[in-house]
Amino acid sequence: MAARMRKFKWRTNTIVFLALLSVAITTLYPLFYVAMTSARTLEDYVKNAYGLPKFFTLESYRILIDNYSLGTAARNTVIVVGASLATALIFSSLAGFALAKYDFPGSKVINWSFIAVMLLPSQILIIPIYLLLSKFSLVGHLHGLMFVYIGTNIPFGVFFLKSTFSAVPDTILDAARIDGAGFFTSFFKIAIPNAAAGITTLAVLQFLGMWNELLYAYLILPDQGMRLLTPALASIGGRYTTNQPLVAAALCITATPTLILLAMSSKYLVRGVSTGIGSS
Amino acid sequence: MTSPAVVEVGPVKGPTFAGGRKNSSSRGSLTRQKQRIGFFAALPAFIVVASLLFYPICYAVWISFLKTDGVTSKFIGLKNYVDIFAAPLVHQVFVTNLKFLVAIPIVIFLGLFSAVLLYQEIWGWRFFRIIFFLPSVLSTSVIGLMFRSAFTLNGPINSALISMGLTPINFFARANMAIFVVVLALIWAGFGYAMMILLSGLMSIDTDLFAAAEVDGAGWWQRFFYIIMPSIRQQLAFVSIINTLYTFTSLFGFIFVMTAGGPLYSTTTLDYLVYQKAFSAFDMGQGSALAIVIFGVISVLTIAQSKYLKNDDGR
Repeated sequence: MAARMRKFKWRTNTIVFLALLSVAITTLYPLFYVAMTSARTLEDYVKNAYGLPKFFTLESYRILIDNYSLGTAARNTVIVVGASLATALIFSSLAGFALAKYDFPGSKVINWSFIAVMLLPSQILIIPIYLLLSKFSLVGHLHGLMFVYIGTNIPFGVFFLKSTFSAVPDTILDAARIDGAGFFTSFFKIAIPNAAAGITTLAVLQFLGMWNELLYAYLILPDQGMRLLTPALASIGGRYTTNQPLVAAALCITATPTLILLAMSSKYLVRGVSTGIGSS
Repeated sequence: MTSPAVVEVGPVKGPTFAGGRKNSSSRGSLTRQKQRIGFFAALPAFIVVASLLFYPICYAVWISFLKTDGVTSKFIGLKNYVDIFAAPLVHQVFVTNLKFLVAIPIVIFLGLFSAVLLYQEIWGWRFFRIIFFLPSVLSTSVIGLMFRSAFTLNGPINSALISMGLTPINFFARANMAIFVVVLALIWAGFGYAMMILLSGLMSIDTDLFAAAEVDGAGWWQRFFYIIMPSIRQQLAFVSIINTLYTFTSLFGFIFVMTAGGPLYSTTTLDYLVYQKAFSAFDMGQGSALAIVIFGVISVLTIAQSKYLKNDDGR
């Protein structure tokens, strides 16, 4: 193995390890604290906010699900994110594959137009999109929000998958073509399996983006009963500042799926995050 | 021993993402029918983007010339822009945005610090890498609420201050204190992403350079300044640009849950002001005009930064 910076001596190693450990504790402790807070009663929290709870209770979670329809919010979130993610991925893969391997007239223009809109800030879009959706009476409907998520996620999706599909060797595709494979056979039988890792990476990134989105979700579904998780959490957190266990439980419900996803797919996330620089 | 990590973190340079042939040699053999299939495969995505992004952008430009609450509207030319440039509130909010930029050098320093230490492959470094990245997968509203709860008047930070015999601080009632808490949240949330980008730059450094430096007797700091820093220039530029963009366009979630812009507009950022103008004051025209001005500002900043930071990137 080639020397990187040369390995440190063990004493330096220990110091570096302790430095990293203290950064890790700074990162983890707030989350641990929130999880602890969510599992204790309000009286217990007021008396002793720092120690371990006297006993663990899921009472705050029960209140959130029963009284603040967080169960409905979770269901709506899954519907919106699931449908938008699936649609965006299908459209982006088709376009990405076509742009990578089918050199049709106009492909350059389409490619560049996607890259150009990727750089636009969301504030420019929010007002016209809101007005358009309300013109078509889509404000207050789940599929209004789905349209927004599909539209805003496609440009990066196409950009990302175009480079993924470019890496599929032409020789395999040519061989399949000689055997009589059409577009869809090449797409489903060769391109998708060969690009599975890239597609998974994109799916993870875009899932996180949609799950965590606040502005569109808040504006396009203004009705309390229709709220998605992240805006529901934001409004609970805004109103119940005195009941910290309740706010903490809402935080845990919103954050847990993303943390589980991180644990399961860290490999894909690590690689997806470093891909962004390729473009700059 | 180190190669799996290199493959895993550096796909930009790896075979998966850069290996494709640029010029498809099969173009000549493609019949017009196949070109048409390619066009139709790209069409759904293009239609969605055209109707949900291109059209709204043009619409936004049009709205910025109107006085409109979304129901009735009147053409007023450039008045919205004139009003924005004249308004003291907009100036104040712009300055507030500049204050939030304080977070960026700290984020980059912490990101670089942890990336360089992780690069030594200390025991458990992969685990640390994921831990540091953890805040990046959380929603800004989750992070914002965590910090708000922590720093609220009867929250844990103040009870810690009291138990140390100090007087509690009402963080969100004072302008600079409120900004301080938001900046703290930005740093906590953001350094892991910077670390990840910088680490991927470090991973792609040719290790022969270090071997050669070692032969020449270069010390740790010399290698840091003469090998590491020049090699990750591109990643540093990227992190700095992306964080600047973020500060001007994506603080909405933090501000919305932490301070709602207060006290008295002192933590209102440009993107939050767009939201307020459009959806609290129902002045969609001025909101759009402001959004377009922000876009102009960040375009200039991005171009300036990439010129300055990448001018001798000849690799």
